[in-house]
Amino acid sequence: MSSGNGTAWMRITAYGDKWSVQQGDPIRFFVNCDGPAAYDAQLVRLIHGDTNPAGPGFKEVPLDAPFNGRHDGRRQVIHSGSHVVVADRRPLRVAGFTLQCWIWPTMPTKVEGYWKPGPQALIAKWSDDRGYGLFLDENGALELRINGERLTTGVPVRDHAWHFVAATFDAESGRAVLYHEPQIRYALDPVIEPVEATLDTRIEHSDVPLVMAGYAERRDEGPAGSTSPVPGVILGGDYNGKIDSPRLCNRALSRMEIETMKLGARPELDERRGPGPTGELSTCLVASWDFSEGIPTRTAVDKGPYRLHGEVVNLPTRAMTGHNWRGVETNWQHAPQEYGAIHFHDDDLDDARWDVDFEFPVPEDLRSAVYAVKLTSEDGDEDYVPFFVRPPLGVCTAKIGVIMSTIDYMAYANEHLAANAAGAELLVYRIPILQAQNMFLAEHREYGGSIYDTHTDVSGLCLSSRLRPVLSFRPKYDHFLMQAPWQFPADLHLIDWLTELGYEFDVIADEDISYDGLERIEGYNVLITGSHPEHKDANYLDAIHAYKQRGGRFMYMGADGFYWIHTFHPAYGRGEVTEMRRCESGIRTWRADPGEYHHQSNGQLGGMWRYVGRYLHSVAGTGMSSEGFDIGSYYTRTPESNDPRVSWAFEGIGYDERLGDFGLVGGGAAGTELDIVDTSLGSPPHTLLVATSAGRHTDGYLLVMEDFGFNQAGLTGTEHPRVRADIAYHETPGGGACFAFSSIAYCGSLSHNNYDNNISRLTKNVLDRFMQDGPLPDPPSDAVLHRGRLAYDPELNRRRIDALAPKGS
Amino acid sequence: MFPIPTRDSEARARMIAEHRACIDDMKGVAGCSILRTERQGSAIEPHGGIHEQMDLAKVLVRMRAMQPGAHGGKYVVICTEVERQWRIGRLTGVRGRPPEFVNDTVYTDENEIQHDIFLLRLDQYPETDGMPEDFHEGWKRHDDNWAVT
Repeated sequence: MSSGNGTAWMRITAYGDKWSVQQGDPIRFFVNCDGPAAYDAQLVRLIHGDTNPAGPGFKEVPLDAPFNGRHDGRRQVIHSGSHVVVADRRPLRVAGFTLQCWIWPTMPTKVEGYWKPGPQALIAKWSDDRGYGLFLDENGALELRINGERLTTGVPVRDHAWHFVAATFDAESGRAVLYHEPQIRYALDPVIEPVEATLDTRIEHSDVPLVMAGYAERRDEGPAGSTSPVPGVILGGDYNGKIDSPRLCNRALSRMEIETMKLGARPELDERRGPGPTGELSTCLVASWDFSEGIPTRTAVDKGPYRLHGEVVNLPTRAMTGHNWRGVETNWQHAPQEYGAIHFHDDDLDDARWDVDFEFPVPEDLRSAVYAVKLTSEDGDEDYVPFFVRPPLGVCTAKIGVIMSTIDYMAYANEHLAANAAGAELLVYRIPILQAQNMFLAEHREYGGSIYDTHTDVSGLCLSSRLRPVLSFRPKYDHFLMQAPWQFPADLHLIDWLTELGYEFDVIADEDISYDGLERIEGYNVLITGSHPEHKDANYLDAIHAYKQRGGRFMYMGADGFYWIHTFHPAYGRGEVTEMRRCESGIRTWRADPGEYHHQSNGQLGGMWRYVGRYLHSVAGTGMSSEGFDIGSYYTRTPESNDPRVSWAFEGIGYDERLGDFGLVGGGAAGTELDIVDTSLGSPPHTLLVATSAGRHTDGYLLVMEDFGFNQAGLTGTEHPRVRADIAYHETPGGGACFAFSSIAYCGSLSHNNYDNNISRLTKNVLDRFMQDGPLPDPPSDAVLHRGRLAYDPELNRRRIDALAPKGS
Repeated sequence: MFPIPTRDSEARARMIAEHRACIDDMKGVAGCSILRTERQGSAIEPHGGIHEQMDLAKVLVRMRAMQPGAHGGKYVVICTEVERQWRIGRLTGVRGRPPEFVNDTVYTDENEIQHDIFLLRLDQYPETDGMPEDFHEGWKRHDDNWAVT
């Protein structure tokens, strides 16, 4: 597929090894230049990423850097697909064997034109017609390979069902037996008998690794091989599905022995039994991998006598229910023996593993800001690799700290929704527009997907790495959801406004707060979020909570914030890999399977923060209530905006003005995802609801599903009173405060009319007050009073007072 | 269910006319909905379109819910030059196989193309779609059309 002018959609793609880099630290860049002989690199400071001609347009500032200039181009490829890789060792070079495991295949056969056609390897120390292995052939049937010989059951395995599979080979007789035993047999399923053959061959061994969910397809000492998870070896035959309890023995076992071997290694209690399931079987056991051990690690533990531990590459999903899951315990930490499965996917990716093209030692005096390396060719190719420069820990170089939502950028990284999830069109209420990045990704699934996507086997994608080109983390990129910037490029609307109005600010990232804690933020007078800080880990929320408690000021510039539970994967570096699972409620583009709600990273229950008691409304005062993506609307002030506690925010703004009836995201400041005040869901009782867009949204907007118990009519923007955005204010202890603007589209309205508009003025009024040194002025003394959580609803107030009143009075 | 209106029907002609008027209002908006507004280029005060013609709203929803690869592939918009050019493409329904261009027509307004795709879809999807006449084995298993499954 090529673009309209006959060339590839993107011939330059690249990434950096950090998204947030500290002044004085290095950052390395990796570039794929697939076509042009050379490319030019240029350091730029990014100001505004929106190319919409109705706005101020794209803005960047070129800067000096040692890497600026021409570089030789080279093609660098990504090898996706997750595997367990066990390095070649003598015990794996068996003469005869028994291989056995449980499998739960998700794509035993592939549709015509599928991006990775061909057979799938389950466990194989096999390459180029040498070695041995268990496969699924192109028809989805179990297949044993010994050297160039093939033995198949000829029976396709059922997808999304457990099967026990085993193969034996007797070295002396050449007798091979293949077993395929489905865990469940439906009434009309034929019986699958074992298949036997006598093979006139002796296993030829090579130094290729034993691979699970793939095999060593070929050697490649060139550039392509250097970026493989196994350098010099290209892995192929990627398997989609689960593998559980693989075992290898060095002789052909009987069916009864195979059954016993399901128990695997049992090395404990040497006074009672052998180190295998029986004393006799312990003498032939080579390896007994137990995927329930080390779930948060990159190691596949072998409990057998040789310690043939495997390396888990490219981030398969762990903490998966095994063939023996009982449905009683749903936390893998409480019943690890039932979580012995790994789910492998052919589009899993942890690290592109590209060779470094250049390194940039960030000067200690390079100001904290949003930067990018701009990569161009003489033929018009272009890509940007953004990164953020932060001050050292404990140092603030401005009164304002802007938080770039890196966890969110990772959650949305390389999403494929417009091309794959056609039902997404129901959300956006129009026909989606695909950009060059979407088109490139549509044919390069090896770049991996987002946490909004499903894998190519349609299972949920719950892990995202940033060690790859993330083409949605780019300026000049309009997202199909809004036909406008989204996440990172949308957050540049805020950066541009701050820059144009002359504010000095530091730029920090989610991960900096998560890893550094309160020290990273406590020196700022005010913290400002991006437009959509939806995905957050516990450390981030803890730090923000502590910051607010100590007099910090917090400006929540968007909506649908603090919604999903994330954890950073402990087996990877700072901020490199994040995990999120979509469980039983919330806005879920996929839903985790039963028993698979707990993160593999640390056992945390996944899903919404709301469902572990951490209400999103409690962070900044408002929380997600509805979403729609066709067009936006505007706010009007409420009487509470005249309260002296907050009236300063509206200086210069008339009471009847339409606030934000313009904008670069949906045409209005109140749009896309909307938050409201709800004191029963965590908004502090003293929250002032100062402006609202109630009653002005389209039928494309719908109430979030966590706000109702069953489907019913009346949930859209033309019907439901909670489909609205509320701008809200509340004070926090020690002279702190929160202002919530409650709409993702809000920042898209800041630049209207050359930054002279009521959204810009409101934001400026708030920021000027929040950034002042020392505690904010005390509220009027009569504002300090006892409040119930429901006291804001006059109707409920009346009911409650009436009920308490003496009867007959 | 509301059927996709047949060729030459009064309903189809009326829907096309309303869709056309809504798209005209949406030109210049950084977004799009099949609604009229207070003026062209504004998203404010939405009315008409899907808010007042129920059959148009329902037909559009049914078109939006269609599977990527069904009936020859779902029509989508492909931006070929940022902020300047757009073309009509078609989803393949196969992961790893990107959308394909339908024709050589180049649009210079990102919302104008929405109307032409609406016209194509009126011809693409059969009146009986989703009715018992269309039963096939796929009805027995949901797929990844995630907004509705």
